[in-house]
Amino acid sequence: MSTTKGSQVHAHKADIFCKDETKVDWHSKALWFVREKRDRAAGSIPEWEEIRELGSQVKTHALSHLGHYLEEFEKNCLANGIQVHWARDGEEHNQIAHSILAKHKVKKLVKSKSMLTEECHMNPYLEKRGIEVIDTDLGERIIQLAEQPPSHIVLPAIHMKKEEVGELFAEKIGSEKGASDPTYLTRAARAHLREHFLTADAAMTGVNMAVASTGSIVVCTNEGNADMGVNLPKLQLHSMGIDKIVPNMDGASVLLRMLARNATGQPITTYSSFYRGPQHDGEMHVIIVDRGRTDMLKDKIIGESLKCIRCGGCLNTCPVYRRSGGHSYNYTIPGPIGIAVGAQDDDTNSIPWACTLCGSCTSVCPTKVPLDQIIFRHRRLKAESGQLPYGKSSYMPLVGKFMASETMLNCSMGVARTALRILPGSLMKPFSGAWGKYRELPAGASSSFEAWYKKNRSN
Amino acid sequence: MSSKQHILNSLKKVAVEPVPMPEINIVPRTEDLVGQFETNLKACAGILRREGGLEALQSFVDDLMKEGKQIISFIDGIESNREIPATPHELRDIDFAIIPGDWGVAENGAIWVCCDKLGHRITPFICENLILTIEESKIVPNMHEVSDKVSLESGNLGVYIAGPSKTADIEQALVVGAHGACSLNVYLL
Repeated sequence: MSTTKGSQVHAHKADIFCKDETKVDWHSKALWFVREKRDRAAGSIPEWEEIRELGSQVKTHALSHLGHYLEEFEKNCLANGIQVHWARDGEEHNQIAHSILAKHKVKKLVKSKSMLTEECHMNPYLEKRGIEVIDTDLGERIIQLAEQPPSHIVLPAIHMKKEEVGELFAEKIGSEKGASDPTYLTRAARAHLREHFLTADAAMTGVNMAVASTGSIVVCTNEGNADMGVNLPKLQLHSMGIDKIVPNMDGASVLLRMLARNATGQPITTYSSFYRGPQHDGEMHVIIVDRGRTDMLKDKIIGESLKCIRCGGCLNTCPVYRRSGGHSYNYTIPGPIGIAVGAQDDDTNSIPWACTLCGSCTSVCPTKVPLDQIIFRHRRLKAESGQLPYGKSSYMPLVGKFMASETMLNCSMGVARTALRILPGSLMKPFSGAWGKYRELPAGASSSFEAWYKKNRSN
Repeated sequence: MSSKQHILNSLKKVAVEPVPMPEINIVPRTEDLVGQFETNLKACAGILRREGGLEALQSFVDDLMKEGKQIISFIDGIESNREIPATPHELRDIDFAIIPGDWGVAENGAIWVCCDKLGHRITPFICENLILTIEESKIVPNMHEVSDKVSLESGNLGVYIAGPSKTADIEQALVVGAHGACSLNVYLL
């Protein structure tokens, strides 16, 4: 089923992902493995729940005083010799980035992970203007060479098997044909990317945190690609959403304790770098971007999604994400947080329903973003603005009326129970729709729960 | 109106309920800090050298130099065979960089390193192998305890380093040695 604007609804894209059942099983298990590592890491800190609460308060405090802290951040950056730019949307962000690069006649830009530049579609913008952009995080480089978008915010190439990566590398970077050993492939990428680091004219990174009181930005990586990029050329750029602000170093420490533990189960990322100014003779620019965030902050519930620190924990635990893949969400960021921050831009009006409302995401979130409530809120907003997807807008009002009538509901349930008992499964199965695709119908009970309760428990 | 002013104006209508900045009073776990540090460093694929201090380090470096390895040291008293070059790019063939760590964090094995006293900030990242030193008395229990101790002067780069660079981007298989150093040895002083 496609919509008028051409994007396909979540269920349709998930269907494509689910064609290879073995791969879906592998995908789901690989992510659950990360979730289990996260549980062990969180469990090893007795005060885990206490720091989650602190993390939530630090972020809520920063968001509710954001104007103040952004101005403080800018003032301190300037004192540190950092140039600060403000962009309302992706287009303006890309223009700013390009004008800085063009001024320095940059031909090659090495980039480390930044979901924001993905949101802004910066790479194609710069490439069109003659700048070569090299993604340097291994997962990001893989998908860049494969010409695909990321399917996870921390593990961008989690949808690919090592054999696929081996084939891709053999074709694109000249690794041995047929090789698929992860260590061999990683070493090949290390050699390939090192040449790019050494010949780059400028580097760009995302920002994990922006510390207002010191005017510094924090970048976290395991691979060291951000620091390898930034510290060779003389020009460094960093893009951040307005939501990345933390008031001070104490606040940053609270979040740093949780980020890697909740993302991958590590005690901390290998490198957590605090840049408080450019290198000697260098130039450092920070671009602060709104791109819809101030609008989100006007809604009390949706605004809380900006507490997110992009650890990816909610993706790893989500039963829908694990079985539908990151490319089925019609947004750069997939999974529960992708729905929370992307539903308003979803022209298929389907992603708020890529969710069972089980709440597992909310339970693992390190800053207590109420993801299930936010997703529910998006459903309501879609309904209120007349944007329910086709099926739901036609049958949901009927279902509502039907379920509100005790007589109609009891009567039809009685019919369904009898039908399940006496009619053959093949006749009943079509009524269960997609639900019945991988499930058997239950055996019909002999009476309703209400009747059973009256008989057995009513006095 | 400038984009800055536009954004700041929009932020006057934030619906998120304001809360005060919380007080952070986490009780630190102070028993066996070196043991905690060692365990967590190991979890990050780093190795703690508890015995021998600078003497052991110098004898290790001497052996490496005999093998022809390229070594740059920023620790007084440790002799090496390379000086700070004119450009950061010339550090590309450094086999071992030896750098003092300022603070160690027991709960996660991270070590705070100030990069601006190294001539080129790239040094701890571009070297093939990294050696850090840490004084036993500078190991603190957790990130809260260290955040007001680390110094990061205006214009500088400071970094917490926890182990060698690593990745698991291909099928979740952990590979040590991504873009930064491929090994980390920490000498306890």
